[in-house]
Amino acid sequence: MRLEHIVLHNLRRRKGRAIFLVIGLLIGVATVVTLLSLTDAMGQRAQHELENFGANIIITPRSDALALNYGGIQLAGVTLIAKELEQSSLANIDDIPNRRNVATIAPKVLGAVEVDGQRIMMMGVDPAAEFKLKRWWSIAGRPVEQGHELLVGDAVVKRFNLNMGDTLIVNNQDFTVVGLLAKTGSQDDQLLIAPLDVAQATLGKQGQVSMVEIAALCHDCPVDDMVNQLQTVLPGTDVQAVQQVVKTRMHALGQFRLFAWGVAVTVVIIGALLVFVTMMGAISERTREIGIFRAIGYRRQHVLQLVLMEATIVSALAGVLGYLTGVAATLVALPLLDGGKASWQWNPTLAVAAVFAAIFVGLLASLQPAFRASRLEPSEALRAL
Amino acid sequence: MSLIELKQVNKRYHNGADCVTALQELNLAVNEGTFLGVMGPSGSGKSTLLSVLGCLTSPSSGTVHIDDIDVYGLSHEKQADFRREYLGFIFQSHNLIPYLNALENVMLPLAVSKLSTAEKRERACNMLKRVGLPDRMLHLPQQLSGGEQERVAIARSLVNNPPLLLADEPTGSLDSATSLQVMNLLSELHQDGQTIIMVTHNRENLEWFDRTIYLRDGMIEKDSAGDARSFSKAV
Repeated sequence: MRLEHIVLHNLRRRKGRAIFLVIGLLIGVATVVTLLSLTDAMGQRAQHELENFGANIIITPRSDALALNYGGIQLAGVTLIAKELEQSSLANIDDIPNRRNVATIAPKVLGAVEVDGQRIMMMGVDPAAEFKLKRWWSIAGRPVEQGHELLVGDAVVKRFNLNMGDTLIVNNQDFTVVGLLAKTGSQDDQLLIAPLDVAQATLGKQGQVSMVEIAALCHDCPVDDMVNQLQTVLPGTDVQAVQQVVKTRMHALGQFRLFAWGVAVTVVIIGALLVFVTMMGAISERTREIGIFRAIGYRRQHVLQLVLMEATIVSALAGVLGYLTGVAATLVALPLLDGGKASWQWNPTLAVAAVFAAIFVGLLASLQPAFRASRLEPSEALRAL
Repeated sequence: MSLIELKQVNKRYHNGADCVTALQELNLAVNEGTFLGVMGPSGSGKSTLLSVLGCLTSPSSGTVHIDDIDVYGLSHEKQADFRREYLGFIFQSHNLIPYLNALENVMLPLAVSKLSTAEKRERACNMLKRVGLPDRMLHLPQQLSGGEQERVAIARSLVNNPPLLLADEPTGSLDSATSLQVMNLLSELHQDGQTIIMVTHNRENLEWFDRTIYLRDGMIEKDSAGDARSFSKAV
């Protein structure tokens, strides 16, 4: 027989109150876990997308001239002789301090070619990097790999009525169409896409690239710092971060996270108040019992221990069940909120934090009732002697 | 030698502007091994006296020594220890913990002691056997009769081997046959050398005491010490 036996027996005897307390705290913990898990899952999903879909840094040769096109509208009759980058200089990217954050380097060469008497834009790409970067491209057939192969943009396909396997004469060289790019609604629709080395030879730009797209792992990495670092190792270039989409999405997630924390804190406060009121009620209900404990020689600290031990057991149980409920709610809610793209991942820190937070809140809310119980004078509590 | 010594004890209760004197200038010495009965009309101060002796209500003035310890000179926590080591309480309404069985109720004072669980259990079992409840150990209070509950309460009050047993109308809610059983048990304890102070309204209990005091208005009006027969006639 120890104090914990008394606590366990009391909880068993007053099951209704114990269950009510557990449910009160459980709802709070489950809400917090659900909201935090959802924001985490969506944040990770957003980061995954940022890492895997599209560039967020673009390197172009520095030009003193201002752009003469806007929104795809080219100023008629004006042409600029574009400068190119030396492909060999791209090796310098390995020297930047944040090299670990560079996921993909996709160099491209651009130039006009003649097909059937018409001028068309050809883009030479490093197939491995480019198709990793442009995962949203939908290709009938297959991407280009090597040699005189072409992936053809939708507008070009329609203009020349091309099919898979067709041969296209580009600058008097035969190219085989191996892939048809579905309409993207961007300038990609106007392109003939070939392997980088072949395009460089066709355009007469051996060893040169027109631009480089870089995908950086950018959840926490300092994009602005990376821009400066790249600028330093690639003199004569313009390095720009494409951050608008990233920032918009991160801002939205940040707002949701803030809202989630707000709701979570409110629910936890309500849970704490519930524990407080219930424990105060329990102390009043057990006044006589506490009087007996004190009369038979229990110290104030023993009474304090009895109440806080009970709060700890109830809160720990609520923490565990609340965490499991929160995970279940997350699994149900994720497909509805993020189109099934985000996935839940086991986060041991959240699990441990949920249980400890529940115990902390339960104990905090029980402190005042516990002190009140321990301060009860035995004679007042008993009223029997 | 006196186990208990009260000197000039006063106890006043304040309720707003009203002041009720429950004990006044009370002097009392009780020897070890005495079975002391405390009688008196309602409001005479019997329960207050027991409460003061039980280290539950501090007197407004005066001193209380039990086994030469100035009990109200002790800190709150030391008073709790004192109650646990020196005093056993038997309440009128049994005051058993409803969610603990008889054995656990008896073990209750030992829950905060450093004894091993086996020792605690053995002591409690022996005590329940001593009060005649060897086969009711695992019953909850509501499964026991009033007399059985009283005996569990007596076992609980004795499990710490306290030098002093304080009983507040232990037969007050029992029928005469069960009261007789309880008084027999207390008498046996007394014969074994236990000091007992018992508050009672029932004059039939007088025969069990070897000393009786009669309180009125917070003072000892009569004390049978040395003359029990004349006291019995007087009250």
